[in-house]
Amino acid sequence: MQRAIKFIASLQLTVALLALSMVLIFFGTIDQVEFGIWHTQKLYFESFIVVWNYSENLPFGDKFSWLRLAMPGGYTLGGLLLINLVAAHITRFKMTWKKSGIFLVHFGLILLLISELMTDLLSVESQMPVDENGSSNYSFSYRDNELVFIDRSPGDHDIVHSIPTKYLKPRKTVDVPNTDLKVRTIHYYPNSDIGRSQSGNAPRSPATQGAGIKMGVFATPKAVTYADNQINTASAYIEVIGPDGPIGVWLVSNVLDDRFPPQMVSVGNQSWEVALRLKRHYYPFQIELLDFTHEKYPGTEIPFNYSSEVIARHNDSSKTQKALIYMNHPLRFEGLTFYQSSFANQDTTSIFLVVRNPGWILPYVSVLLMGLGMCVQFGMHFFKFLNKGSPA
Amino acid sequence: MLTCKKLISNKFITLTIAVSGALLSGCDNSEPATYYIPKEERAVNTPAMPAAAPAEPKSSASPPASTAPSPMQMLPGMKEAAAKAGEFTYTCPPSWIEQPAGGVRKASFRIESDSGSADVSVTAFPGDVGGLTANINRWCGQVGMSPLSDQQVAEVAKPYTISKHAGRLVLLQGPSESILGGILPFHGYTWFFKMKGDNVTVVQETEAMQQFLDSVALKDDHH
Repeated sequence: MQRAIKFIASLQLTVALLALSMVLIFFGTIDQVEFGIWHTQKLYFESFIVVWNYSENLPFGDKFSWLRLAMPGGYTLGGLLLINLVAAHITRFKMTWKKSGIFLVHFGLILLLISELMTDLLSVESQMPVDENGSSNYSFSYRDNELVFIDRSPGDHDIVHSIPTKYLKPRKTVDVPNTDLKVRTIHYYPNSDIGRSQSGNAPRSPATQGAGIKMGVFATPKAVTYADNQINTASAYIEVIGPDGPIGVWLVSNVLDDRFPPQMVSVGNQSWEVALRLKRHYYPFQIELLDFTHEKYPGTEIPFNYSSEVIARHNDSSKTQKALIYMNHPLRFEGLTFYQSSFANQDTTSIFLVVRNPGWILPYVSVLLMGLGMCVQFGMHFFKFLNKGSPA
Repeated sequence: MLTCKKLISNKFITLTIAVSGALLSGCDNSEPATYYIPKEERAVNTPAMPAAAPAEPKSSASPPASTAPSPMQMLPGMKEAAAKAGEFTYTCPPSWIEQPAGGVRKASFRIESDSGSADVSVTAFPGDVGGLTANINRWCGQVGMSPLSDQQVAEVAKPYTISKHAGRLVLLQGPSESILGGILPFHGYTWFFKMKGDNVTVVQETEAMQQFLDSVALKDDHH
């Protein structure tokens, strides 16, 4: 045990882990070209182990496509580095004033590792498009979908019953929360082609209600895309079961959205709109876009600056605030950060990246601690050197 | 000394378990839920793409960043389906500027007037595309009108003969924009002849639109 602890706290392990981190970053960077940043991040840095595969798109890909290389993922390396550093402090370092700078640097580093873990586990990213002179009280996640049943019968609000798509497993039944309805999944496709069943060889659609029947559309599965600029067309055939038994089978898809007539499920006098849509995050405030500015360098199409003038109107009016969002100047409001992300519709729609990251302050604190630690450590050496050089 | 070593070992095991637990808990924790939201109007907007969206999305299923020329969603296979709807002939009114047809549009025109402008599109899709009420209500949304009931739809969609077949002519006037459109079910397809523009231009061009609809002759292989 003693030997194991010594190894875990050793500097050799630190060096080995840092070397492995460099290897991970190298292969992650190669795969990022093919899979995009989002997928690579999940595969390499938010995982315990990763197997790199020599891509056919690389030089001599046809000859080396059999080549595989397993390596520890980001969670393994980050976790071990954290354990290694903490173990070193417990077993080897002694708290003295002479080492106070090193302690500060290491504490900053531990905080940085923890903040990275917190960001991975707790942060939520989504996008909020807002039209000029329009407003929005929700943002979309472009990677996650939800099956929703919306009751629009109340006069002053809508009731949304949401089921994350991870519950849509073939032949499994899940309760629609706070209703008498159940949903049995017949098929769920994370990405699909939506086509029209007009040709004779079109697959038979299991749908018996809604758009699948009225518009003659059907879904066929296809490979999930990880490209940063594409959205997966999630689709599902779901059987809705009421208190008296099955009501029908609907085709729902995130491309059959608000632009299409709503698909309705009715039981007695109660009706719900049913839809599969990009997961929404609703907020108790509205972001109103007053003006979006897209400046270019004179005589060119090269962007110089994007900025959005917004008012965040909170239900509690004392919290309402006006802000100008532009590059590196996000709006921080109600625990969320709104970054200027993109624009659309001939510069009349601004798109914000909305990030909820409870640990956003930690990296700043850790960098400050490390900076302070280095100043203390080098400062002590410097003054010691000065004292040595000065005449007695 | 032994106690101290044991203490270090115990601390170490606790730390390892704590870190592993924290790492393993990093799964998706979203659960089925019910929530209340302020009353929503169904949007007719085209959702925008994430950052750095290209002008032409690679996947045909991806919603485009910019407003599509037609408010109709371009589903995969729709363009091909529209092409199978057949050909047609027409006479372009003198005040209209013919535009190149593209996407699902079988013909496209631009109208410029002193009061504003209007866009005319001709599209055809298989089936009834959700039915007359759904189609008219989609147009209602495009000019800022509230959805109509079946009875109101029957009132605004006047019978109108297009290419010797029974169609409908619809005028929808919103707060600032109007749509004057012909809808024609034709051998398993639905044809849409839509003029959309500011209220004044659409009224001014009503006669030209009717002349255009009267000139339309769909190629009919079924008789």
